[in-house]
Amino acid sequence: MDKTRRLTLMAMLTAASLIIFIVEAQLPPLLPIPGVKLGLANLITLTAMVILGRREAGAILLCRIVLGSVFAGGVSGLLFSIAGGLLSYLVMCLLKNAFPGKLLWVLSVFGAIAHNVGQLAVAVLISGTPKLALYYGPALLAAGILTGAFTGLAAMFLVKALSKLKKS
Amino acid sequence: MKRNKTKTWIIVLSVLFVLSAACFLILRLTGKSGTVANIYVDGELYKKIDLDAVAVAYDIEIRTEFGYNKIHVVNGGISVTESDCRDHICIEQGEIDNEAVPIVCMPHRLVIEIEGDAVDG
Repeated sequence: MDKTRRLTLMAMLTAASLIIFIVEAQLPPLLPIPGVKLGLANLITLTAMVILGRREAGAILLCRIVLGSVFAGGVSGLLFSIAGGLLSYLVMCLLKNAFPGKLLWVLSVFGAIAHNVGQLAVAVLISGTPKLALYYGPALLAAGILTGAFTGLAAMFLVKALSKLKKS
Repeated sequence: MKRNKTKTWIIVLSVLFVLSAACFLILRLTGKSGTVANIYVDGELYKKIDLDAVAVAYDIEIRTEFGYNKIHVVNGGISVTESDCRDHICIEQGEIDNEAVPIVCMPHRLVIEIEGDAVDG
């Protein structure tokens, strides 16, 4: 893929993840537990990581987080997004090679769990209530496994579709 | 080979999911009942309420730099009924009457917790 195509694809993926993020923020929460959501925007980060590479995925993620907080989250949302997003990104970077191809959904699960751990850590720090980790830890772990598998499977379809585009 | 790995991970993650979900449910169901509610804003104790001493239900309005919440206090229970936060998770968490799970409104840095009876209150 030449440079221009690469840049265009990155811009497109950033726009797509931003839209997904904003639309998801408007949906009512799935469960009355703070922090539980599908995290659909992560499917773009995953896809970018597979198709373009770690650095490109990181750039897209960072743009999405900053722009997302401008449009939807606000400042307190930004802190949660950054903590969750970066921890998830780091974990996925480290584990990427362990889960190639058909195992991408497992990578997504670990990313989702890391994301929830990051957010919970911020929640504990902000509220100054360490007990929150005990109360919500198990729930967020369970939720991360389910939502991570879901977005991971979705990302696998997207990777498949975009691979065709790569060849042409 | 690949298929085996997929299967292994499905089993591992399913087990982990069941365990954590069970932990969550056990925590929720075994919460000690309590009578004292503590309202925290930004990590600081904002108000302490003895829920057994509530004769007539009343509302508390909390306005801080983070936002607005209306808290409904009844005999034995406490809930958030109004909020100008984005997701309204605090409202959907409903009324609590034991220490198992606190009510949290993260955008407003609000936590409502009930002290278990074991704690002197």
